Amino acid sequence: MPATYGLIDGNSFYCSAERVFDPALHRVPVVVLSNNDGCAIARTPEAKALGIRMGDPWHLVRGRAELRPVRWRSSNYALYGDMSRRVYQVLAERVPRVEPYSIDEMFLDLDVPRDLASFCAGLRAAVLRIAKVPTCVGWGPTKTIAKLANGLAKDHAELGGLCDLTDPAERAAWYQRLPVGEVWGIGSRTQEKLARLGVASIADFIDADPRAMRDLLTVVGGRVQAELRGTSCLPLQMMVATRKGLACTRSFGRPVTRWSEMREAVAAYAHRAAEKLRAEELEACHPAVFMHTDPHAKGERYQHLQHAARIEPTGDSRDLIAEAVRMAEGLWRDGLRYAKAGVVLNDLVPAGQQARLFATREPRASARTMAVMDAINRQHGAGTLRPAATGIARSWSTRRAMLSPRYTTHISEIMQATAL
Amino acid sequence: MTGSDKGGGYTGAETTGFVSPAGDHIEGPIDLSQILDLRRPHRFPVRVLGEALVERGILPGDILITDTAAEPRHGSVAIIMVGGEVLVAQLAFRRGQWWLRPGRRDQPPVPVGEDTQLWAVVAALVRERV
Repeated sequence: MPATYGLIDGNSFYCSAERVFDPALHRVPVVVLSNNDGCAIARTPEAKALGIRMGDPWHLVRGRAELRPVRWRSSNYALYGDMSRRVYQVLAERVPRVEPYSIDEMFLDLDVPRDLASFCAGLRAAVLRIAKVPTCVGWGPTKTIAKLANGLAKDHAELGGLCDLTDPAERAAWYQRLPVGEVWGIGSRTQEKLARLGVASIADFIDADPRAMRDLLTVVGGRVQAELRGTSCLPLQMMVATRKGLACTRSFGRPVTRWSEMREAVAAYAHRAAEKLRAEELEACHPAVFMHTDPHAKGERYQHLQHAARIEPTGDSRDLIAEAVRMAEGLWRDGLRYAKAGVVLNDLVPAGQQARLFATREPRASARTMAVMDAINRQHGAGTLRPAATGIARSWSTRRAMLSPRYTTHISEIMQATAL
Repeated sequence: MTGSDKGGGYTGAETTGFVSPAGDHIEGPIDLSQILDLRRPHRFPVRVLGEALVERGILPGDILITDTAAEPRHGSVAIIMVGGEVLVAQLAFRRGQWWLRPGRRDQPPVPVGEDTQLWAVVAALVRERV
């Protein structure tokens, strides 16, 4: 177990990734919107200063006069994923181990024979120079402390993007000042429970009787308390746990009122989910479909229906499309305006390992067809080859009106530079 | 690498009649992304616009393989961001500072100022059609 854990995270990561390739976004407020251009999910400090909050719906705020200088962007996950990969690689070349915790946060094993303050400053500089993403780094004897330190580095500009919580005395001083809700793993409901016991600050929390905390907050809360005291309970996770299920769900660009559109959308989601499944060499035997209307639409009936089925394990897009469309047909009601639908695959099993006593599918031919389709799509871009059921025009598809180019993953969209 | 990446599954090894003498020596096609180091974090492709660097051998439409980890040198070609623009220019180091030297000789060098970001150094070039 490392003696010191670090947490590095990208500052306004999605916005920073956009800025790398577009100098027009430098020094102006930038906001990245969620799928379907719904609401704000990443904001630069300039955008925060204008009062834009996380989750603000774009269609409600875009008209405001004071937000005229804001550059809005649709989420470009092909770009963000590739930039995350670059950040990871820069780190992996410099520290013993890296755990990619989320697209913009990595835990680090900081067992390095160096002065940590200058080492972490060097890490930050290397990520900025090479992957071009500004970051903050926090470190301490446990992951929970590293996460807290990272939050402090982000919130306190005077720390210069670095925060060291290895010294117990320094930690104790911060613990006095910080509410327990700042801690990773302590949500607002837990915070309320603790408040009723008079536990408000982190200092109160670590002074509380461990047995009482375990009773109140289960073993998970007990672990958080131990970690804050400096006893490491959470090791770096180098392996991603096998998925229990996966989903492909989307809000529509506009309400869907025709069955032909819904059928296409459900087929496309089933196909995408099947692609994810195959990429991880899994099969599904418990697909489910849901669809619902807009819960916020005035004067419209809200309806949310779902249907699940047990099938022979398969990773074949064609099988899953057929099952999903069959289930969706049972849910469909004429006259409703559907806002969202999705395909969820549960009970995933490793591909090709299931006994097929009464198998009706042809697993080998199916695997070969799917492998060819996936290879073509890898080479020529997602969606080049796809089942016809998933639609050609895709009138229902997600709105991404302010999408930037896929600068690093698509040769026809790479950054352009004018020769001087 | 899966079979389909290698073209129909046949790599030169899996023969049905006579055992291929090449069986233990199959190496796969040459991988340009490996030669150009494109899987590393510091390599970014950039497309050239304009003809100003033709004399330097850089044509419009060329794909520059740029390196964000490389140190710039006198004479390097680099990607520069300045004034909201993305430029590709030759660098010169003279009288203790960096300059951008335009490809056309009749234009004066431009000093590299505070507001100029040296984005990457050009390391290689790909021309899709000759």
